[in-house]
Amino acid sequence: MLRVDGLEKRFGGLAAVSELSFQVEEGEIFAIIGPNGAGKTTTLNMISGLLTPTAGRIELAGRDITTAGSAERCHAGLGRAFQVVQPFPEMTVEENVMVGALYGKPGTTYAAARRRAEDALERSGLDALRTVPAVELTLLQEKRLEIARALATDPRVLLLDEVMAGLRPAEARLAVELVRGVRERGVTVVFIEHVMPVVRDLADRVLVMNYGRPLASGSYQQVTADPRVVDAYLGRDDDEEEDEA
Amino acid sequence: MRRALPDLLWTLLLAAVVALAPTVLKALFAQASVSYLSLAANAISLAILALSWDLLARTGQLSLAHAAFYGAGAYTAAILAKLGGLPLAFDLPLAGVVGAVLALGLGSVTLRLKGIYFAIATLAFTEVLKAVVQELPTGLAGGAAGLNVPPLFRPHFVPGAMQRWEIAYQRNEAYFYVYGGLLVLTILVSVLAQRTRLKAAFTAVRTNEEVAAVMGVRPARVKLLAFVLSSALVGMLGALEAMRLGSVIPDGTFAVSTTVFALVTPIFGGLYTTLGPILGAGVLSAVEETLRRTFAEGYLIGYGIVLVASILFMPRGLVGLANRLARRRRGTPPAADGEEAG
Repeated sequence: MLRVDGLEKRFGGLAAVSELSFQVEEGEIFAIIGPNGAGKTTTLNMISGLLTPTAGRIELAGRDITTAGSAERCHAGLGRAFQVVQPFPEMTVEENVMVGALYGKPGTTYAAARRRAEDALERSGLDALRTVPAVELTLLQEKRLEIARALATDPRVLLLDEVMAGLRPAEARLAVELVRGVRERGVTVVFIEHVMPVVRDLADRVLVMNYGRPLASGSYQQVTADPRVVDAYLGRDDDEEEDEA
Repeated sequence: MRRALPDLLWTLLLAAVVALAPTVLKALFAQASVSYLSLAANAISLAILALSWDLLARTGQLSLAHAAFYGAGAYTAAILAKLGGLPLAFDLPLAGVVGAVLALGLGSVTLRLKGIYFAIATLAFTEVLKAVVQELPTGLAGGAAGLNVPPLFRPHFVPGAMQRWEIAYQRNEAYFYVYGGLLVLTILVSVLAQRTRLKAAFTAVRTNEEVAAVMGVRPARVKLLAFVLSSALVGMLGALEAMRLGSVIPDGTFAVSTTVFALVTPIFGGLYTTLGPILGAGVLSAVEETLRRTFAEGYLIGYGIVLVASILFMPRGLVGLANRLARRRRGTPPAADGEEAG
């Protein structure tokens, strides 16, 4: 569904991402983990079109989207929730979601957009808050709104950037359920996460990045047992691992 | 579309008021109605200028080229009249098309610029267009001296059947209707932009262009559409003003002050709304006229003070102030900044 081939991003002389290739199958939940500065968000930004790669190729459902604009990628089926939540501050929750519903796919009628927005609000547990100004939401609600907006664009692949960051364990569990629900609808999910129990619970496959390069990939068990991953990211002492969820 | 219905009804009501106003004014004030109609046309002109500028502002672009499109429309009317004179039914749309085409050209190149850079580029465009018009063959555009524009209406005095002042009344009444018509058209465009899916795109692009794009909105197209609509409307206004004022001249027709009024009025009345620019135009026209009658000399200083004070104390304009008062009366806590009226 999503294919990344030889992706590279240089900022001046610094390679933030290089030699990155991976493939995500349809309906899969795919996690990207790694220490801060490993290039995870840069990768997501290249996939969603906010950054142009200096080399490499990105394919969505067989279509080359390497140089496509953000809007075009969205129309092709790419949804994105941001790490730093960025709701449109002047709009209510519902209006925020309607932007994605109206413009996510060209040719959507108003009535169809309305239905899609309703559906996204319901699935994200925001239906009671639809008329609330987006600036009045709590962090968990804002994260839900990020996901709801992305869902409203009717994506085939959903990119989630650290959706769990800052959430309390109980909240994170709700978010995990939300992501599972998304996948059950046939949406492929690619997510960046630091909270390891969330990765364990959600991911079918995990890609570990370090210094902008892929370090290891495989199941959660495989990568967490990999001594290179332990050295670079998880640390030797198991007690350091956050046990949040 | 269905959500636009209440606003469309309001617009219809306004159109009815415009239609009746001259007759009522004449019945009430007789000869004085002549100058009232002229003042009303000034206020309507300011309202069209402001509301058309606000259309683009809703996408987050601060244009300093409004005078350029206004001037382009004015010169279109002047040159057409010189070349032979078409009826208004052709002149006006043509002036709109000239504005739209220029905006399409300028917008395709400059709308990717953000904030202050776009503003500077549009200001430069105004100066360039003024220079170009000045350098056109004098036989065509009149050079630095400009052109005379024949008036749109030339009422005839019928001895015995009417009084002298009624000539002026008939002329002003006719202009009032045409200006009122263009105002209604501008309001219709604004209402449709506020009550259809365009509103979501405009606001999304204004508040966060990158996120809007990730959600499928095409910011470049949205901004270009707003720019073209905005410029077409002000182009038509320029054409009408040229005919009403009777001449065009580069320094006056492409005056920076036109742009300044175009942006100050919506800020004063309430940005990103239909009501705000209209309300702002009405109040500012009244304030200016009152000041002018009270202090013939230096009244503009007082006008400036009123503007600065109102922008300091009403950051969201008259409409924002009204919303704040309404909330206080209802006893609800002041909500987010997002309060907007149609």
